Amino acid sequence: SGPSLLHMSVFSQSFSPCGRFLAAGNNYGEIAVFSLSAALSPDATALSQKPVLRFPAHEGPVYSLLSTDCQLLSSGNGEISCWSWSELIKKNVKSLWTKRPKYKSSLEIPEINSMSMNFRDNSLVFGGGDNNVHILDLEHGVFKSVLQGHTDYVHCVSVRDREAEILSGGEDGAVRMWDSRTGQSVHCIEVHKYESCARPQFGKWISCLTTDSDWMLCGGGPSLSLWHLRSLSPTSVFPLKGVQRQTTFYQDMILAVGEGPAVSHCLLGGEVKAQIPCTPQSLNTLQLNTSSTEHRVLTVGGSSDHIDVFTNLSYRTFSLSF
Amino acid sequence: MGAVTDDEVIRKRLLIDGDGAGDDRRINVLLKSFTKWCNSPGTPEEGFTQYQRMMGILAQCEFSMGKTLMVYDMNLREMENYEKIYTNIEQNITSAHDKIAECKKEIQRAKRIRKNRQEYDALAKVIQQHPDRHETLKQLEALDKELQQLSRTKENVDAKLELRKKQFHVLLSTIQELQQTLENDEKSDNDENNQESPALNGE
Repeated sequence: SGPSLLHMSVFSQSFSPCGRFLAAGNNYGEIAVFSLSAALSPDATALSQKPVLRFPAHEGPVYSLLSTDCQLLSSGNGEISCWSWSELIKKNVKSLWTKRPKYKSSLEIPEINSMSMNFRDNSLVFGGGDNNVHILDLEHGVFKSVLQGHTDYVHCVSVRDREAEILSGGEDGAVRMWDSRTGQSVHCIEVHKYESCARPQFGKWISCLTTDSDWMLCGGGPSLSLWHLRSLSPTSVFPLKGVQRQTTFYQDMILAVGEGPAVSHCLLGGEVKAQIPCTPQSLNTLQLNTSSTEHRVLTVGGSSDHIDVFTNLSYRTFSLSF
Repeated sequence: MGAVTDDEVIRKRLLIDGDGAGDDRRINVLLKSFTKWCNSPGTPEEGFTQYQRMMGILAQCEFSMGKTLMVYDMNLREMENYEKIYTNIEQNITSAHDKIAECKKEIQRAKRIRKNRQEYDALAKVIQQHPDRHETLKQLEALDKELQQLSRTKENVDAKLELRKKQFHVLLSTIQELQQTLENDEKSDNDENNQESPALNGE
């Protein structure tokens, strides 16, 4: 019963602030909450790997999930919903609110692809199919500003805390850097114009973006590359096959997932250290449970109803499934 | 009260020597033979042999007791030994735990250092691609000198040009003046000639 597991894809994930639960969003618009503490306990059964809660959240796919210190935010087609984690743990699925930014035409329902928290001023930065980056003030619940500049979909956003900057990557192949206070675009990097990164056979769009104060990782059509932000120069290019869809810095390594059934581990110098096989044939999302000490796991999801859990980065320990 | 002590006594006796063989039996036999010896008529030699036999049994009992006492001592010391080993192992476990925690911290530190080193290397790679600052400065200096030289040359050429212009101007104006003067002279000469003999000129 319910949507077919065969065609299910996991698009997004987010760990609860306490670190004991994982929320995952799929292409059917459902969110499933898994109990990590149950799945990781020594007396876990096959049932512990199923969701403790599963509910419809949006009409379309759940493109992005993000947790604050007590809430879970989810994004779908043209809307953002907010859920209380403590209520979800008690299996209460009523959302706290759902907001829709004002688009140019009321017929526009663009998908919201990516969200990122700006902790400085408690605002949510998100971008999507209307080619713009929006900022929602979470304290007052109002949409503060719209950053215009991209000429095509915005695929990914990231916040550079220390410098009060927002980064966004889009279908137009540009990585734009915005001053979060003035809303002005301060830099625009067209990654595909750099010979070392360009992969014309894949295209120019940027599908993943993340930042670690002075450094930035971005990839998509062009190869995944590491950039030094102050000098705006690419320092390393990673020879990974296929398009990378999510990437993160972890300790002294870089983790990346995308096309291909593996999690890639890379070193900052450009070397691919390892590629750990996974269940899904292609991956969309990668999350690390850094807010927890006992459940410090890596989870990945993609074109499958299974979410692989890694307790040790070197091998897949087990899988959760919708 | 008496019943409890009896049970205790029976339990202890069963534990030590339940099957009736061994020391318990020996003591009972000794007691019986002592009473028999005290009450027996018999010859003094028989009495003496009996007495010696009983002493022998007594000695056996004493020996057995001595042995048991030594075993007890040994057990006590063995227990102490095990206690010591136990506490020793516990200490080792806690120190191993501490070492593991310390090593984990070390690993984090080392990873941080490695990350910094890699960032440094990545930046160094980019910096290497750009020309050395000394080189660029030298080139700039050379270009500056060249520029200065060229502007000096230009100035000189310009000055020369001016001078030549002026000289030509002077020359041309002098020529013109001379031409004018000559024309004037010729004219005035003609006029004079005309006045003297107009018929000769055929006007």
